[in-house]
Amino acid sequence: MCLCLHASHHNPLHCIVPPYMLRVIALRGDPETAAMARMLLAEDEAMRAERAAHASPPPEGAPGLLPDPDICCPDRRIHDGEGRAALPGRLVRPEGAPPTGIADADLAYDASGHVFALFAEEYGRNSLDGRGMPLVATVRHRQNYNNAFWNGEQMAYGTGDGKIFRTFLDLSVIGHEMAHGVIQHSGGLIYENQSGALNEHVADVFGALSEQRVLRQSVHEADWLIGRGILAPGIDGRALRSMKAPGTAYADDLLGRDPQPWHMDGFNTTTDDNGGVHINSGIPNHAFYLFCAYLGGPSWHLPGRIWYRALQELNNPMASFTDWADQTLRTASTLAGQGSHEQQMLRRAWTLVGIRV
Amino acid sequence: MEIEISAAGGFAGIAAAGMHKRIDPDALAPPLARQLREAFAPDALARIAAAPCRTCPDGLSYRITVTETETRSFTLREGQLPPEMLDLIDRL
Repeated sequence: MCLCLHASHHNPLHCIVPPYMLRVIALRGDPETAAMARMLLAEDEAMRAERAAHASPPPEGAPGLLPDPDICCPDRRIHDGEGRAALPGRLVRPEGAPPTGIADADLAYDASGHVFALFAEEYGRNSLDGRGMPLVATVRHRQNYNNAFWNGEQMAYGTGDGKIFRTFLDLSVIGHEMAHGVIQHSGGLIYENQSGALNEHVADVFGALSEQRVLRQSVHEADWLIGRGILAPGIDGRALRSMKAPGTAYADDLLGRDPQPWHMDGFNTTTDDNGGVHINSGIPNHAFYLFCAYLGGPSWHLPGRIWYRALQELNNPMASFTDWADQTLRTASTLAGQGSHEQQMLRRAWTLVGIRV
Repeated sequence: MEIEISAAGGFAGIAAAGMHKRIDPDALAPPLARQLREAFAPDALARIAAAPCRTCPDGLSYRITVTETETRSFTLREGQLPPEMLDLIDRL
């Protein structure tokens, strides 16, 4: 479809670029180009833009693939939102400063350091953008806020309302949010439908690996839960999601049952939740767990390396589950060998969750 | 005027974890009522909804319905709403 009807006369992109391409440009272009693409998308279909426009630098130079020789230390900047919505709030703990006595701020500080170390020491990545960007986080964001998010520039964590959630400062949650930053700066995955579920999936993978690495847990010692202990005491559940057994994390009168499928037969087609991004991520999540289980040992080693490198090499923000599975197999071939036992186990894992590779 | 606000989405992906509020500004103290009528005027909401917004992974989505002589509904991303408005929602 052509966009020439409503586009600006001064716009070099107009009339040539189809919407699907504009969405990639909005995601990856430099600020000016991304803004232009967003404007064109807005004119095309006003509210579509909000989903695609998630600025991210282009993957040129692949900062994520070559270890940065200057990696040293994280530059953490933890802020206190003091219950309000304005970001980032009051800086309470910059890098190197002593504990604040604000439990949430100190947890965020320590956890950000662990996540930084996972990416730096295991995968050679210097911070979320691969170029040493500061790790900006806000704790105590808003009031009774039942959420945590990455807004494209920083992390934010609510305290929970005490009825459903008691906190969001759990290492798997913090690793998850920071991984959204890594994904954004690795070429991005558009946050809807299958590519959005992959965005959620990759965030869960590095959230789980952040925790397992700190606890030095092998695949069989780990619980593979995302957000263990963040549900309030009255809620009948162990966590928000389970990669080992998607669909079993909670079953509660108020929250209902964990809706995650583990197999493509249970794929949920919905317009809610950006096309079920937090639901269908259960399928690739389970494939990752199975692959790790087949290999044994620490999952942040080869499985984590394959997932990290596959993300750098994917170059497809609209990837489907099959596209992603194919990419992980190609990367496994590079890292472990074509036809290797590891690659065969990866193929087996994808096949078991119903993804043809 | 009646304002109905519900939120969905977010890190949990659990609809029940969202909020649902129905507010009648007339039943509130006059300064707050005035603030609400301004912030939630349909034209003001329409301006916010028209602005392109970056998707924020794990962000919330708000459904705001305002009833005066007619009923108008808007779906707004958390990242589109100014912080002052989010604070106002939290106070209600």
